[in-house]
Amino acid sequence: MQIICISRGSYGFSSTLSEQLAEKLGYACVSRESLTDKATDYGIPVGKIEIDILKNKPITEERSINIDLFKSFVTSELCSMAQKKGVVYHGRAGHLVLPGLPNVLRVRAIDDPENRIKTAMSKLNLDRKKAKQYIEQTDDDIRRWVRILYKEDWENPSLYDLTVNAYHMSAQSVSHFLLQVAKLPEFQPTPSSNQTISDLILASKCRLAIGNHDQTRQAKVTLKAEKGHVSVSYLPRQAMEAKAIPQILESVPGVSSFVCTVASTNILLLGETFDSKAEHMNHLIDIAEKWNAAVEIVQLSSDVQKEDEIQASAPMDSTGEPDGGILEENEEAPKALASDQGLTETMNRLIEVGRAGCSHTSHGGVGGLVKDISKNVEYSLIVVGDMFSAKGVAKQRLKRDLVSMMTDKFSCPVLSAEDLKSRYLFGKKQMIGLVTSAFFSAMIYLVIFGFQKPIIKFVSAGQLGGTMSQKIASAVVVAICVPVIALVIGGFYHNFLKMIRLE
Amino acid sequence: MPGPFGNLFIEMSWMVAFQVSILGFIGGILSGFIGSGGAFFMTPGMMNLGVQGPVAVASNITHKFGKAMVGSKKHGEMGNVDKKLSFFMLITAFAGIRLAVVVMKLLFEGGGDSHSTDRGAGANLYISLVFALVLSLVAISMLSDIIKSKSSNESGPSTKIVDFLSRLRLYPLIYFPVADVKVSLWVIMVCGLATGYLAGTIGVGGFIGVPAMIYVFGVPAAVAAGSELYLAMYMGAFGALNYAFEGMVDIRLTLLLYAGSLLGIYIGAYGTKVVKEIVIRMVTSVIILICVISRAIAIPIYLQQLGYIDLDPAYNDYLNSASKGLLYVAGISGGLMIMFFVSKAYFQRRKIEASLSRGLVKTA
Repeated sequence: MQIICISRGSYGFSSTLSEQLAEKLGYACVSRESLTDKATDYGIPVGKIEIDILKNKPITEERSINIDLFKSFVTSELCSMAQKKGVVYHGRAGHLVLPGLPNVLRVRAIDDPENRIKTAMSKLNLDRKKAKQYIEQTDDDIRRWVRILYKEDWENPSLYDLTVNAYHMSAQSVSHFLLQVAKLPEFQPTPSSNQTISDLILASKCRLAIGNHDQTRQAKVTLKAEKGHVSVSYLPRQAMEAKAIPQILESVPGVSSFVCTVASTNILLLGETFDSKAEHMNHLIDIAEKWNAAVEIVQLSSDVQKEDEIQASAPMDSTGEPDGGILEENEEAPKALASDQGLTETMNRLIEVGRAGCSHTSHGGVGGLVKDISKNVEYSLIVVGDMFSAKGVAKQRLKRDLVSMMTDKFSCPVLSAEDLKSRYLFGKKQMIGLVTSAFFSAMIYLVIFGFQKPIIKFVSAGQLGGTMSQKIASAVVVAICVPVIALVIGGFYHNFLKMIRLE
Repeated sequence: MPGPFGNLFIEMSWMVAFQVSILGFIGGILSGFIGSGGAFFMTPGMMNLGVQGPVAVASNITHKFGKAMVGSKKHGEMGNVDKKLSFFMLITAFAGIRLAVVVMKLLFEGGGDSHSTDRGAGANLYISLVFALVLSLVAISMLSDIIKSKSSNESGPSTKIVDFLSRLRLYPLIYFPVADVKVSLWVIMVCGLATGYLAGTIGVGGFIGVPAMIYVFGVPAAVAAGSELYLAMYMGAFGALNYAFEGMVDIRLTLLLYAGSLLGIYIGAYGTKVVKEIVIRMVTSVIILICVISRAIAIPIYLQQLGYIDLDPAYNDYLNSASKGLLYVAGISGGLMIMFFVSKAYFQRRKIEASLSRGLVKTA
């Protein structure tokens, strides 16, 4: 069913707006506050999380686990409701609560600041100055909440489908306008969005089950689910606690298969098609083994172009309104299943070597792919594999553009699969670097220790009655030479450790 | 062990060179494991080898310059550097370093010497006292934090100072986007000055800078480590320039430290991936405490040389040996402990991986 998420600040008009919209659509209306109460009853210390964030407390592992459980609880509740009937959710980070789920209408509702102040004055019995300060402080707290929980900027307009401003419009008019927008094909549920909802529910339930178990309560895990298959990775230092994870997953209804991987970090592999025997896969596995990393795979759906075309020319129903092209997508499903063969083989190979992370499919084109990748998972490397195969000679350029786009979004290194060896594995280039840096390091030591007296005499001009110009010269030479020396010796060790596979 | 330039620089024998490299290696392991410092082991270690205190500090801060440059580049790639915060701290950190260099120069040119001449002992005593005082405070507060967090079942550093300062609201408040904190300019300036002064005095800026960022500013630990390294790069450069201008940098020592530290840092950094946070803090505080005791044992030597206490000079060798021995005990046992945790975790991981690929994968 359809999901509409409304992001709001405090004392705005969006509660009224959400209720009116839900009533018009015949959907359930859910507020953040009601979900928070439910989560607290469930045993998640939401109040404590809020206070910690308000007090600017550092996010420790324990707090981060509680945040993770809260997010899983919200996802599970909203998605479970959405399976039964449409949902209008309103809350401070409404647009971010269901990441990776396409076809959700994400709205930002802003109100006239004066109205908000007046509402706060009357509800909290405050004078104007204090009410204004209260609103500003609350907005600051929301910004911080969104940054910590979702690593996003609350006010970033690109995260919303549209912004509605109540300055000149009533809640009634806005809800009427949103009613029309909600009918657009882009916001209709599709088989793939329904599958994503099922996956999100399963992943959330597994996460909550792990968080509820005595032995694994403190385990920090990365978890994904796709079509009944669940992938979990956890830190090596939690290996003992995490032994119970397989047993827990077996007890969760809907889990058909799972893989658990112990990993210090994550590597993300993107691709349209996968070949488990490709040379770059060998390189990737080599790197994953060296770094003790789990390899997460995101497959860009090969039917994406067709989906785009379907959406653009979505057929109209008898009322003249588009229906979202749901039937066409169903017909494409068998083809998509066939293209999963390479992915399955690649996952099996990763499982064999104990480096399998999560895997899922992205259906939103390249733009959707970039949006789908969560900023909440800490990746050490993003690798762009086989992409744009149908684009012929433009393939390399498009791949390069994607690498640039990903580099702008993520702080970790992003590179093409073909560059893995030259960048991270020991090859000819590294051997040349090793020999060169070894040579220069040896020369540096030979020169400094072979000519100790004149060199020390030069650098200690300040203590040996040198002139001002001699003192300045010695200071400048030390300041220039030392970082160069560090880089040369550091380069030697870097390449040497790479050669003996100890990075 | 006077060298080619009187008692300013030591004679570099193969044995001394080897020991300095070992100091660098252990310092590197500790530095990679703890995330900051290393100097707390290397500076007194060099002093125990007969290096004058100011020369040990100068050579170490110069060594830190290059090391921090490499480290901050890596942290920058991971988005852990708040450049704005580092620059604000840098303003007063430079003043702190300059002040430390001037004080050190005055003390160095004052009285006493470890070899019965008139230079060095004053500066050595001053460095040892600051070292013992500051690092015992750091170690004790770390240990008490561990005990408290164990009893209250709450992990993570205390936020009492952050809470107090956020209530105080000393304007102007500056927002730092990467660290996501608002901090008073005055608080930053005081912390920057203290960090610079201590980096210039004992070469241990990170032990003040990182806790200040975590406990006083409320910065996340990873961003604190990255930003401190970025700050340390500039402080190291400024410290190196200042000390080199005064002619106190022994470039040979800097080179020998690099030979060990740039290798050790990789091993220490691997340890942080596989060892629990509370164990890291526990190991760190115990190592620091032993280093403090080692330096405290050397204090009577300098007091005797300055004529403040009446002690038979024959005891100096014993005290120096005890101090040196204890420092090596701290460093080597710390290094071995880290290696033990690293290998234990490694073998445990291998065992679990094997069981995963055999039995835990369930297929529908």
